[in-house]
Amino acid sequence: MKKIEAIIKPFKLDDVKDALNGIGIKGMTISEVKGYGRQKGHKEIYRGAEYIVDFIPKAKLEIIVDSAQVDKVIDTIIQAAKTGKIGDGKIFVLPVEEVIRVRTGEKGEEAI
Amino acid sequence: MNSSSGMAQTALAPQDFSGLQARRQALDAYWQQGISGYALLRKHSDFIDHHLADSFEKSVPAGEGFALVALGGYGRQELYPFSDIDLMLLYDPAHKDELGSLVESILYPLWDTGLEVGHAVRTLEECIADAAEDFFFRVAMLDARLIAGSAILFEKLKGMYKTAYIEGKRQEFLDDMLAQRLKRECQYGRHTYLLEPQIKESCGGFRDIQSMVWTAHVVFGLKDLAALQEAGLLSQEEFNRFEQAQDYLVRIRNRLHYVSGRKNDQLFFEHQQEMAKAFGFTNARDMLAVEYFMREVYGHMQTISVTTDLFFEHVEETIGSEDASPTLKTLEPGIELRHNKIHLVNTERIQKSPKLFMRLFYQSSRTGSPLHYRTRKTITANLHLVDDKLRQSRRNTKIFLAILAASGSFRVLEEMLDTGFLTAYIPELAKVESLAQHDVYHVFTVDRHLLQTIRELEKLRNEESNIHAVINSPSILFLAGLLHDVGKGLGHGHADRGADLARQIGARLGLDANEINILDFLVRNHLFLSHTALRRDLEDEELIMRCAGRVNTPEKLAMLYLLTIADARATGPTVWNEWKAALLLELYLKIALLLDRKDLAEHEQVRGAELGAQWIRDKVSGLLPAANRTNFDLFSDDYLLSFPPEVIVEHITHAEKLAKQEILFLHEQKQESWSLLVMTRDCPGLLARIFGVLALHNLNVLAAKIFTWADGTAVDSIEVSSAIGETYERQDWQAMEDEMHLAIKQRFGLEHRLSRKLAPLRNKPQGVQQRLESKVTIDNGESELYTVIEVFSEDRIGLLYDITKTLSDFGISIYRARIGSKADQIVDVFYVLDQDGSKIEDPAFIDELRQGLKYAVENV
Repeated sequence: MKKIEAIIKPFKLDDVKDALNGIGIKGMTISEVKGYGRQKGHKEIYRGAEYIVDFIPKAKLEIIVDSAQVDKVIDTIIQAAKTGKIGDGKIFVLPVEEVIRVRTGEKGEEAI
Repeated sequence: MNSSSGMAQTALAPQDFSGLQARRQALDAYWQQGISGYALLRKHSDFIDHHLADSFEKSVPAGEGFALVALGGYGRQELYPFSDIDLMLLYDPAHKDELGSLVESILYPLWDTGLEVGHAVRTLEECIADAAEDFFFRVAMLDARLIAGSAILFEKLKGMYKTAYIEGKRQEFLDDMLAQRLKRECQYGRHTYLLEPQIKESCGGFRDIQSMVWTAHVVFGLKDLAALQEAGLLSQEEFNRFEQAQDYLVRIRNRLHYVSGRKNDQLFFEHQQEMAKAFGFTNARDMLAVEYFMREVYGHMQTISVTTDLFFEHVEETIGSEDASPTLKTLEPGIELRHNKIHLVNTERIQKSPKLFMRLFYQSSRTGSPLHYRTRKTITANLHLVDDKLRQSRRNTKIFLAILAASGSFRVLEEMLDTGFLTAYIPELAKVESLAQHDVYHVFTVDRHLLQTIRELEKLRNEESNIHAVINSPSILFLAGLLHDVGKGLGHGHADRGADLARQIGARLGLDANEINILDFLVRNHLFLSHTALRRDLEDEELIMRCAGRVNTPEKLAMLYLLTIADARATGPTVWNEWKAALLLELYLKIALLLDRKDLAEHEQVRGAELGAQWIRDKVSGLLPAANRTNFDLFSDDYLLSFPPEVIVEHITHAEKLAKQEILFLHEQKQESWSLLVMTRDCPGLLARIFGVLALHNLNVLAAKIFTWADGTAVDSIEVSSAIGETYERQDWQAMEDEMHLAIKQRFGLEHRLSRKLAPLRNKPQGVQQRLESKVTIDNGESELYTVIEVFSEDRIGLLYDITKTLSDFGISIYRARIGSKADQIVDVFYVLDQDGSKIEDPAFIDELRQGLKYAVENV
């Protein structure tokens, strides 16, 4: 089992969510995050006032999937989230030791 | 209410159940049926009384030395399905030995039923001592009631209690009560309209009612509400409303206990739907059952909250009247400042001069002092004096706008809302009063949300002083804040509906055309920035261009930006956060920088629109085949900005067919309406003929965009729906097209056909419903090139025909029109020129035209 974390542009969230639903991914955790990478924060000056945007708003998705599904999920996210510009985001894949459903105590794939 | 409590009484009485458990099961049946109200509370309490007296007598046959006393809610004989049963066993120390077995025989059976029992065992002295320590015990004693045992002992207790805590202790009692109220306010919020109201402890809940009754008892010796009314502390009207509200809350609490299966006094989100159903509400097209239900709940709690507030102010004043002679200051004739409260000097004054309403609030705003409660009562009792004359008074408007934009406006608006003045002055707001929105985002009812928005706007004035500085007319921004959700509760598209209403309100208030346009713009677009920031790619330059085109000026952008933030913050804690703020700021800055680029155009006013129009021009020519040689000078910016590029391309393609055929008539089914496109050579009276044919075919015009290209091609895009509920498939489109042809070629007798068709409508009985007043404005300031005519009227079939026919009879050409209708009213805007192609400026002609239009609209 793997955990896929994807950091994407906020306005792409709906597209990505729909695309993932389309390939049968039913559950995910979504959060509003801020940070920066290559797309640095910047400073705007408007009418004499400085506006510093040091962290850029992004959306983060977390999905736990069976290892066999990983590539498909990654492709789907890339396809839906890509604009071709800096700041499109990143995807991380992490190993997951165990998944347990709280209600039933089921473990492993059953619990995803 | 009456019927259900009546039922409970008659149906319950003859039954006889053996055990307590069985009796509660019997009640269960009634609770299940939703029967509730005071009678049932009383019945429940009687069952418990009966049972306790039984156990008591079995254990202490002589009844000497003990008294079993009910306290609190049980003392008042108000027992809800899962209420605590507050008991006190009063004993004479001489009988201490029998205590143990008595307690067992009384309490154990109660515990078996699963009821929550609060019990205490005390001697007389302990009672008095404990009451000194514990405020709640002290007030619970006010409702003490003997269930069984020694009446002598009980009377002694009452006497000692009275000497210790009531006689000569009015001030202390009041201070304690007020301190408790304050504590409750801190804990449960000052508001009656939070998403999940606590109907016992929140403002406007049971605790408020009891506090008032207790205080009336201790301070004035008045036993109940009726006594309060007799003593003149409540008017008949206040008493009736209060009693109604109280009964409603009783039913709710009964049902709520039952629904939650435990002692729960909070109307949790997940219970609300079930409760609404139980109270007989059903979903309507534009509003959910639960929203109707919650509106009632909030309305009643509001009544209780306002009444008890007024009561406590009265008590405080009465008791504190030994104060030194009040410092008195006359603020203006009829209005005084006394003890930091604004007073109306006497009631007749406001009856003679209703302008005092607004003056009172103005003085309250200026001095930062609240209105005295008697003045507030006077305002509420005289609201019928708020008439159209006052609503249209320019001087009044000026004061109102000054209050809105002044600091502390939230407090003053709250007083306006609570007294009922706000909805009397702006009747459109009555529809959103206490209106709940059944979702987890909106913490407040719509009216309170609007007030919160004003509060947030005021904060933003300091926090974003830079941006605020760009705004020339802050009062319009605040007015937009107050009105932005006025279209809620009318169905889909509240921003557009609200903007139409705001336009109507602005016109009534006498705002100038520019101010009305800004108001309309702000209300119509109040969701635009946040939707764009969250759902669109902000690096898309074309998008930013389009936004700039829509927003047009830095001032409007600044206003819209601040309104967006204030709206979000005022919605609820989950709606606004730093993350969204960052996205919105990015969008704001991008548009602002674009609007500020001096090299893009010279003329500040039209810069944004020109940009947008230019973008559409580029887009359209990109979509057209390369060989197409359309001359873009044909199209006004306004036209280009009114349709998506793809639709303009369609228009251009259709126009080519007009070389061969005279008229093009297309229809298409949309989700909620049907969309018609009529293209032909423009000619005088064209619009009247089109609308005439639509009326003949029972079509209601929902919206229309009417344009004429520079080469004389009329492009009329009309949204319609069937007034008689016909389906799209069964509508006779061919006949309509044929008649459209004939009518446009002037070979069709529209006048007599319509007259015959509409005849039955003319004979409708009058006076069933109060008619909305129609209004016609003719303005030359709003547009450089055209005279702008606005018609407000009640909607009816054939109305647009009558208006456009009248214009055509006057030889007036319509160049552009916007038809908007909402609910049953219609607001039509026409951009016109007279026969010679000039603006209509002759005052006599303007007057004649206005008369003519009013006649056409009103004389069905």
